[in-house]
Amino acid sequence: MSSCLPARIVRHAAHHPDAPALFWHGNTTGYGELTAMAGRAATWIAAHHGGAAAPGPGSGERPRPLALVAKKSPEAVAVVLACLLLRRPLLIASADLGAEALSALLVSAGATRLPAPAELTASPGEGAPPVPSAPYPATGDPDDIALLLTTSGSTGIPKIAPVTFGALDRFTAWAAGHFGLDARTTVLNHAPLNFDLCLFDIWTTLGSGGCAALVDQDLAVNPAHLEGILRARPVHVVQGVPLLHALLARTAAGGDASHLAPVRHVLITGDAISGPAFAALPPLFPRARFHNVYGCTETNDSFVHEIDPQDPMPHGALPLGRPVAGTRAWIRTEDGGVLHGPGRGELVVRTPFQTPGYLGAAPAVSPFVPHPQDQDGGPCYRTGDLVRRHPDGTLTLEGRRDFVVKVRGVRVNTAEVEAALCAHDGIEEAAVLALPDDEAGKVLHAVVRRAPAATLDSLTLRHYLGQRLPRAALPRTVRWSGEPLPRTSTGKLDRTALTDVLGPGPSVPRAPAAVGAPAARLSADIRRISQGTGD
Amino acid sequence: MARTTQIKKYLIEQFSLEIQPDELADDYDLLAGGVIDSLGLLTLVSWLEDTYGLNVDVLDVAPDNFRSVRAIDAFCDAASAPGPAAGTTGATEAATTGARRP
Repeated sequence: MSSCLPARIVRHAAHHPDAPALFWHGNTTGYGELTAMAGRAATWIAAHHGGAAAPGPGSGERPRPLALVAKKSPEAVAVVLACLLLRRPLLIASADLGAEALSALLVSAGATRLPAPAELTASPGEGAPPVPSAPYPATGDPDDIALLLTTSGSTGIPKIAPVTFGALDRFTAWAAGHFGLDARTTVLNHAPLNFDLCLFDIWTTLGSGGCAALVDQDLAVNPAHLEGILRARPVHVVQGVPLLHALLARTAAGGDASHLAPVRHVLITGDAISGPAFAALPPLFPRARFHNVYGCTETNDSFVHEIDPQDPMPHGALPLGRPVAGTRAWIRTEDGGVLHGPGRGELVVRTPFQTPGYLGAAPAVSPFVPHPQDQDGGPCYRTGDLVRRHPDGTLTLEGRRDFVVKVRGVRVNTAEVEAALCAHDGIEEAAVLALPDDEAGKVLHAVVRRAPAATLDSLTLRHYLGQRLPRAALPRTVRWSGEPLPRTSTGKLDRTALTDVLGPGPSVPRAPAAVGAPAARLSADIRRISQGTGD
Repeated sequence: MARTTQIKKYLIEQFSLEIQPDELADDYDLLAGGVIDSLGLLTLVSWLEDTYGLNVDVLDVAPDNFRSVRAIDAFCDAASAPGPAAGTTGATEAATTGARRP
């Protein structure tokens, strides 16, 4: 029997067509329906883009990638499944990406954009000839590219990280085993479809015969939507950034946490969670085990730590834990050596799930490096994360060696935002600062000096940035400076002085305006979220 | 003061836009420009509820209903109209066509 992910899903559908695969806005999509939708999409794709056989087998050419630019929906999931079945590489791009950024990304990937998922998966009308089943190729080379994921770069165009079928199979096998996913499991999927987190939430779940409960991207920060899902369908596993867990805690603010009781595993990922934010969780999830999951788009999960709710942060932060099965990790010292024993350095990992390398323009300095003592073991990935190894061997995160920050769990390179700002004719110089924020982890603030005679205003500038940068990379505030920006003696932006410039001005708290009227339910919810995670 | 002007003043103050209300066009795309993000959207709805006494079905808080000042104004019309239909569909329709619900 094949262990290839799409084949497993189709096999499960053949045996259990009525088993729930997806839960979306109160409706269940069975495995049979999901694979039927995927079959219609595959037929359309094969007819319009030559299917898997184009170019022909043995031609040595790889099929051109297709691109899905869509918000999450059962139809969109079916289109991804169709491409996996056809073994056509699929770029999944955010539907929020600005027009210029999107077209640059499609060019960089060499990808052809597919029509909307609803169109691809639509049932044929009455009287239409029966749809022939799509000719799925037999399982092929595990090094074939399955998906193209994106992550922030420093140049303005997202970097493209391919995921192979082999990596997908190894990851889904490990993750299903580690978190005990099977046909009775429902997993909450909070992340948008283009996020690597979906490799667990959606694809590991479907590969296990379980049900993925999909959060509508448009309502992803709305506690009522989350609560509605959890009350309608018992959820056993939740994975998400700290913001999701704060939102879930809010859904129990009325004192009734019964919808959280079925949860067996809570996976915290994407960013560091604060002590108070974590402390709110164990009482709400009485049966759950808590896991700190560390990974990035290039490598997928590489460390997992089961959190001790009695002593979650013995070193002041959640421990990273142990490398997951088959992962090799080392700490790189400043001179490129391997740190043995306690100390601080950059975390470098090699996982069985990692990308073979970026597609398209490579960064000037490759983050993929050989292990200094194991040159034959394949490239390792420099994460950019600085970690400390404590005397007892525990690893904790300490920051970054570059300008990458997390905004709501999304990796953003502030150098990329600065480059986009400085590329505007009306801008003389610009700095982007990431300041701590209770909700988002970090929020971006831009300080900008106009070029002489430029008449740029903040709205024009926002529109310009919105065309070029992912949503998470757009600064929350733009402050205009009449003076040259402060610089250090070596000519670099003086970020400490800039932070002082920002002061209390633009970094206004995002709590709603104080009003005397009794708060409606939503208002109350949002106020509590804005004020932090506790009651 | 017209409701659209009040909405603009709120947006400018809340999101530190450093412009005058008449510089914010009724159809400026607040989402594409990152003025309103997903959490900012809920904060805005909370303000609309309190300011205009609306009772918004929380599941109607979809970004497309709040894409521009004009769309927000239309949403307020729909949400304050009597009857169970006030909500997403009506507001989206109004936002798209610019038409007001009867």
